[in-house]
Amino acid sequence: MQLKNVAVIAKREYLQRAKTKAFWITTLILPLFVTAISTVPALLLSNSKASQKIVVVDETGKVGSTLVAKMNSGEIEKQQAGKSRDQMVSFDAETEPPAPDRTAQRKALDRRVLDKQLDAWVWIAPGVFADKPVEYHARSVSNVFTQEALKDEISTVVRQARFRDAGIDPARVDALSRSVKLETQKVSASGSRAEGSLGAAMLAIVLFFILYISIIMWGQQVMQGVLEEKGSRVIEVVISCVTPFELMMGKLLGICMLGLTQLAIWLTTVLVVTTPGLVAAVMVLPAGVSLPTLSPVMLINFVLLFILGFLAYATLYAGIGASFNNLQEAQQAAGLAMMFVIIPVMVMYPVINDPNSRMATVLSLIPMFTPLLMPLRIAIDMPPIWQLALAYALTISFVIGMVWICARIYRVGILMYGKKPTFAEIWKWTRYA
Amino acid sequence: MTPILELRSVRKAYGDFVAVNGVSMSVPAGSIFGLLGPNGAGKTSTIRMIMNITAPDSGEVVVFGHPRTSDDLRRIGYLPEERGLYRKMTVMDQLVFLGEIRGLRGPALIADIQRWLERVDLAKWAKSKIEELSKGMQQKVQLIGTVLHTPDLLILDEPFSGLDPINQELFRDLLLDYRSKGKSVVLSTHGMELAERLCDHICLISSGRAVLDGELKAIKRRIGGNAFRLVADGDLGRLQEMPEVEQAIVQEGVAKLMLRPEVQGADVLRQLVGFLNVHEFRSEEPELEQIFLKVVNDAT
Repeated sequence: MQLKNVAVIAKREYLQRAKTKAFWITTLILPLFVTAISTVPALLLSNSKASQKIVVVDETGKVGSTLVAKMNSGEIEKQQAGKSRDQMVSFDAETEPPAPDRTAQRKALDRRVLDKQLDAWVWIAPGVFADKPVEYHARSVSNVFTQEALKDEISTVVRQARFRDAGIDPARVDALSRSVKLETQKVSASGSRAEGSLGAAMLAIVLFFILYISIIMWGQQVMQGVLEEKGSRVIEVVISCVTPFELMMGKLLGICMLGLTQLAIWLTTVLVVTTPGLVAAVMVLPAGVSLPTLSPVMLINFVLLFILGFLAYATLYAGIGASFNNLQEAQQAAGLAMMFVIIPVMVMYPVINDPNSRMATVLSLIPMFTPLLMPLRIAIDMPPIWQLALAYALTISFVIGMVWICARIYRVGILMYGKKPTFAEIWKWTRYA
Repeated sequence: MTPILELRSVRKAYGDFVAVNGVSMSVPAGSIFGLLGPNGAGKTSTIRMIMNITAPDSGEVVVFGHPRTSDDLRRIGYLPEERGLYRKMTVMDQLVFLGEIRGLRGPALIADIQRWLERVDLAKWAKSKIEELSKGMQQKVQLIGTVLHTPDLLILDEPFSGLDPINQELFRDLLLDYRSKGKSVVLSTHGMELAERLCDHICLISSGRAVLDGELKAIKRRIGGNAFRLVADGDLGRLQEMPEVEQAIVQEGVAKLMLRPEVQGADVLRQLVGFLNVHEFRSEEPELEQIFLKVVNDAT
């Protein structure tokens, strides 16, 4: 094998693809998309966070003033500190005594709502201490977060009134019915540290799908490239100057480098997006979640596993491309190759849930699955070194075997035109001298 | 002088079908060598074995005086019958790539490409994608790709097919020019007329066998000693039935006759005036087509 030839082929594959608009669109759209869906809603909602103007009419005379005081105190916001910004609610409430003519009062309140002087009004009837509902009248009744907060507030105040009526001190009830908090601690070799487990899972899923998309996309690119060369018969000229093995390796190398270029852009996005200060400022995160940053160990493993995953699948796709005459014929075999990537997707959630289960361990050691499942495990809980070493050893051996077999199929296949070969025939090609 | 290319009893079968059946031929250095034969005769199969695209089942390919090695392939320029270029590449990128896989590099390569593009009138298309070019233009680009590294031997499979007469002439001039620089050309074609105008050596292939091989002039002397041209009115179809006539190719009142070796032209003419109004009857050098038909008929 002459490296010079491999380099010429790799250069062509890289530059020709990097020059296409399609490459830059796919490369840039994903980060833009991710950034957009994570920031835009939050930005929009943060601007609409005006206080809700509400009038409370209390027929019981027992809860109205306490409720309004609580609503205006901002206590609700404090209680909701764990929630993300778009779920926060604040009120600007006032009481109104019930008028003698209830019907006229209701009509007057409705008019104020329609005139936008009010956002809503609440009517607390005496039956509230039994099970009669509290009425909520508003222009929009789809603001579930507001209603939820209001319901909680009224419930608390009504409950306290019930306690007082029963001769129990509400403060004592509060003190005795405090709930217990759960603090998650990630245990790892470098010592325990508090970390949001959901954050780790999210990062793992993001990494998993980046790999998944890359491997499929670039594998298909290799296949299409081979089919194009075969279809346009360029192959005959090229093959008279470089050996089929040099051609295949050059093609794999060039496309792999391009995949890495794209990966670098995507990973940079992940790094930027997971920078702590920045995320806190713009990203929508569920309560108690902090995003773990991408550690160097993770990054190195991720890149190495991408390269191995790419080679494992791309060689397979190269062999498939070389065996058939056109995309339609090749699609069936390519579908078989896809099965190997679909299995990791199917077991993704069980693996995230328990990254050290026997199933996760065994599956992540199978070479075709390692490149997708290992990063998932590493992101959540670093597997034992021996497992990692074994996974690398198996995958590397497997890739070498794949290159060997596919190079043989490729060598024969690229010059075979005409009839669609059977799998038995393709297998026979690997044994030609 | 050692031949630049030699095939020794080369054989290739695909399953039961024998595409090339023990072909031997010898291409003298500095010649334009025609590999001739009808479609399906085994020309492309032979060329593919020369180019190491397929391996012969038996026999030997000798180039530049020794059994072919992979390094020798760099000294050969090959234009396959099935033309193909990367459709999405620009003409310049494509030619740079074709140069680079043959070990050419740098500004000298670019300058060479530009010179060639100007010569074939494609300079202003350098930045266009291949798919934007017409078939004929693509063929010119491919020919440049074939000669860019100034190979000592050019192997062209049906180089003239699909070209208009102007570009055929351009290709012909390029090949003659190439020979004048002391290089050798092997071209396959089923067009006898073109081969006749261009080749100084030929090998005729029919059904996988080389039926005739040697210098064109010598072949004509040897085989076509008894050829005549006849211009006449009347039933020229009857020529075929005459026992003295081995072969008659009739076209619009003109017949190209090949007589049996022992037959005298004067005897035949005496018979012809009996049923034809003869305007002209003279001895002439036989055309390659006549020779080809005669040889193929004799062989079968």
